[in-house]
Amino acid sequence: MKKILITVLALIINISLIYSQERNLPNIEVKTLDGNSFNIQELENDNNPIVISFWATWCKPCKKELNNIAEVYEEWQEETGVKIIAISIDDTRSMSKVAPYVNSSDWEYDVYLDSNSDLKRAMGVSTVPHTFLLNGKGNIVWDHRGYIDGDEDELYEKIEELGK
Amino acid sequence: MKNLIYSIFIITFISSCDIIEEPYLNNNAGGVDTSSNQYVKNILIEDFTGHLCQNCPDAARELEAIHDVYGAQIIGLAIHVGNTFARPYPLSEAKFTYDFRSKWGEELDNFFNITDAGLPKGMINRIGHPNDHRKDKGQWLASVGDELNKEVIFGINISSTLSSDNAEITINTDALKNITGTYKLVVCLTENDIVNWQKDGAVEDENYIHNHVLRSVISSTWGDEITPNSDINNGDSFEHTYSINLSDLENFNIDHSSDVLFLGNGQAGDWNINNFGVVAYIYDIDNYEILQAEQISLSSN
Amino acid sequence: MKKIIKILSLLLCVHSLNGQNIGEIHGDFNLNMQSYLEDASINAVAADEVIRNNSYLNILFTRNNFTAGVRYESYLNALLDYDDDFKGNGIPYRFATYSTSGLEITAGNFYEQFGSGLIFRSYEEKGLGIDNAMDGIRLKYKIGNGINLKTFIGKSRTYFTYADGIFRGIDGEIDLNQTFNLESKTKYIFGGSFVSRYQQRSNPLFELPQNVGLYAGRLNLINGGWNYFGEYAYKINDPLNSIQQENVNYASGSAFTSSLTYSRKGFGITAEIHRADNMLLLSDRDRIGKSYILNYIPTLSKPHAYSLLALYPCATQAMGELGVQLDVFYKIKKGTILGGRYGTKLNFNISRINGLKGGNSMLNDQINFTPELISFSEELYYSDINLEINKKLNKRVKYNLVFANQTYNKDFLEGKTPGEYGVINSTIGVLDISYKIKKGHSIRMELQSLMAKQLETASKKEEGDWLMGLAEYTISPNWFFAVQDMYNYGNEDASKKLHYINLNIGFIKGANRFEIGYGKKREGIFCVGGVCKLVPSSNGLNFNITSSF
Repeated sequence: MKKILITVLALIINISLIYSQERNLPNIEVKTLDGNSFNIQELENDNNPIVISFWATWCKPCKKELNNIAEVYEEWQEETGVKIIAISIDDTRSMSKVAPYVNSSDWEYDVYLDSNSDLKRAMGVSTVPHTFLLNGKGNIVWDHRGYIDGDEDELYEKIEELGK
Repeated sequence: MKNLIYSIFIITFISSCDIIEEPYLNNNAGGVDTSSNQYVKNILIEDFTGHLCQNCPDAARELEAIHDVYGAQIIGLAIHVGNTFARPYPLSEAKFTYDFRSKWGEELDNFFNITDAGLPKGMINRIGHPNDHRKDKGQWLASVGDELNKEVIFGINISSTLSSDNAEITINTDALKNITGTYKLVVCLTENDIVNWQKDGAVEDENYIHNHVLRSVISSTWGDEITPNSDINNGDSFEHTYSINLSDLENFNIDHSSDVLFLGNGQAGDWNINNFGVVAYIYDIDNYEILQAEQISLSSN
Repeated sequence: MKKIIKILSLLLCVHSLNGQNIGEIHGDFNLNMQSYLEDASINAVAADEVIRNNSYLNILFTRNNFTAGVRYESYLNALLDYDDDFKGNGIPYRFATYSTSGLEITAGNFYEQFGSGLIFRSYEEKGLGIDNAMDGIRLKYKIGNGINLKTFIGKSRTYFTYADGIFRGIDGEIDLNQTFNLESKTKYIFGGSFVSRYQQRSNPLFELPQNVGLYAGRLNLINGGWNYFGEYAYKINDPLNSIQQENVNYASGSAFTSSLTYSRKGFGITAEIHRADNMLLLSDRDRIGKSYILNYIPTLSKPHAYSLLALYPCATQAMGELGVQLDVFYKIKKGTILGGRYGTKLNFNISRINGLKGGNSMLNDQINFTPELISFSEELYYSDINLEINKKLNKRVKYNLVFANQTYNKDFLEGKTPGEYGVINSTIGVLDISYKIKKGHSIRMELQSLMAKQLETASKKEEGDWLMGLAEYTISPNWFFAVQDMYNYGNEDASKKLHYINLNIGFIKGANRFEIGYGKKREGIFCVGGVCKLVPSSNGLNFNITSSF
């Protein structure tokens, strides 16, 4: 009995050790809009923060979030050097509308396609929008589920905190 | 090396494809050779159906087609169930006013959860209970094939005498193996050749022929023990006798329809006793599997 | 036993002391609870259990190139809009995968799709109650020089078991520009795939194929703002295991899809066409139902998010349909009369789906019958023409306007008897306006109207016109409050002129989200990606939690 207790304890310690580690991006490939494969772990931004936002062309709050940020994106970049990555989870039904939507909306984001939801699953995203913030070392430091008007202010505060 | 991998892939995959050319007919058609045995394995197909269910006639035709191939070994039972597909229209309407449902059908449906899974569904000797007993019609043929290969454990003989609307039905059961367990006997009445409305695909057919419709269970729904002993020996024989009055049974269904069933209208009568049949089956109470079934016509014996 | 435990704990300890990189554990959790009250006016039934519940917990462990994951699922008992075969608790999803020098090996469960899914797609959509994850082995190999191979063998999940068919598949893709170092500005990507199902069946009358194969080839050309994608798929004979002559049909199946896209700053256009004929792949040849479908013909219509626009949704008919769709995106520049201070976004969409001329290959007895390739004169299944205008007026006010006209062949798409519900044409208007009160506080209102008319006489009473209103108050970043009412004021049946009211309160903090709601739901068709399920009417409370770590 004692032995079992010790084992369980050891396991818990192990798990907590594991858990205390930094959270990194998974080793998953997505597609660029011009048909190339891209491993999400290769994301980089000169040690500046990165925001990853999961969205879809059929998702109203997602588009609202990214459109609202688009208006202030230039400002954000100048102040913090942040880069925004938009991951579309559109499947083959609406995938062909991603590029027209992105271009016609004047988004300056890097957009990737995750049409088999591999990255979505690997990052524990069950609903869109879901936004992740990465620090300069590429560790996920904050994430937020859903979008309501004004949420971009909270995101920006978090980005600014990283700069300090 | 790469070429080798490619070739392996190509060989494996291209060969795993069976394009069938004409003629499509299989050579080894026909039933199981039954000439040497006194008893053969009979199979009960309980076809859960409803007159408003447009895909159900196709299942009924599948049952008939299976019967055409395997003959008397296939015994059908059409059980009309459910508020969606089997409820009758109000009497003010010109069609679908007949109530094919019965107390026993509803009890079976409640226990086996058939209508929850959508109609048509069937049970083949009730195998697969509790997770896999509800079979789509596409599964019937394969299940029947499996059942036909099973050994015969019981033999059933039915005899009946009919005078006006009273009938006495005697069931003789022979054990063909030493076997331990509890086995129950269920005896039902069915009616053939009922001409009435049925949705059939895109058509509403006024002259559809409804066959082997479950009318009544004259044992209890879950049957009577064939013997109180749990050990049964090869050669044991058991006799059960049921005396019934068909008018009483008919009136019971009429009352049940108008008093109990959802939107029931009491249109459950007009029985034609000349078209009646008796179906008897034995099942194992542990897993509900039906081990043997038999049927005769009520009037001709 | 004790020894083993000792060694195990020692190993674990050594591990944890030893390395920085022990790996990571992450997961997400989802709980959906719903109570069901009886409500005779909308035919809602009470559940015997009063409360039903669907919950999921995903756990993923990652270390370097190794990942393992499990999902615990709990249906006690499953929500009423789920098939009741989802019953009980279990771990139906578990896998381990690792990759080394371009080769990735997965054992256990995986989701996969070849091309656009015409011949194979294994996916999960909790909203629909679909999870046909494969269980088996998958290899992915990046050979290099732009050549990629994927291959798998496995069985497909249904509920808590696996369907009878065994599947083998292979897919290859080649990027010519990389492979041959082309200097061309145009990118050429070719792909091909093959899938085969083995299911042993013997039929006393007919020869049945035990192995049913499907092939597909695809092409993607990209040049600047231009993008062309085309795929053609073919399925060999796959007759039912029946002994009714008319059901045992040896017709083959085929499908193609083709899309052309052009976009530049402020403008985008997509034109698509597809055709499917007898192109249903089932994970168990004897079964029917959406849980057994293992391929995907993407629906050619716009996925709508507003409730009245999605009241009559389109579902793909894999057995036979021809569809076309055009989408135009345009942004009117800032500073112009129509563009205003912030610019105005327009999206025009038109789609039309009809049957195949002569019916599909399967409905016809003749083996060699092939329906006409392209014909738009056949029975209309669905059409949608809509315009969406998205505009920001000033710093506080934003609005979205949608006008649509949809035609919905209810009898056909919902499998009713012709003449029962007829063909419904509806004209829909939506106004969605949000107003920012102060920092973090916003209010949003939706007003929707649907006016329906019957294009063919129907024997059943018409549902008729609808109105819908919604008000939502949000306090960023934590709270939202919403109330909505759908009112079926135009129902021909006076007892069904009902209000469907819903109240929702949500609390969000980081990656946790809690929502509680009360409301009546109308019986209806709910679709994701053109795959649909029937949702029964209900009345009750619901409670949801989503969370991840």
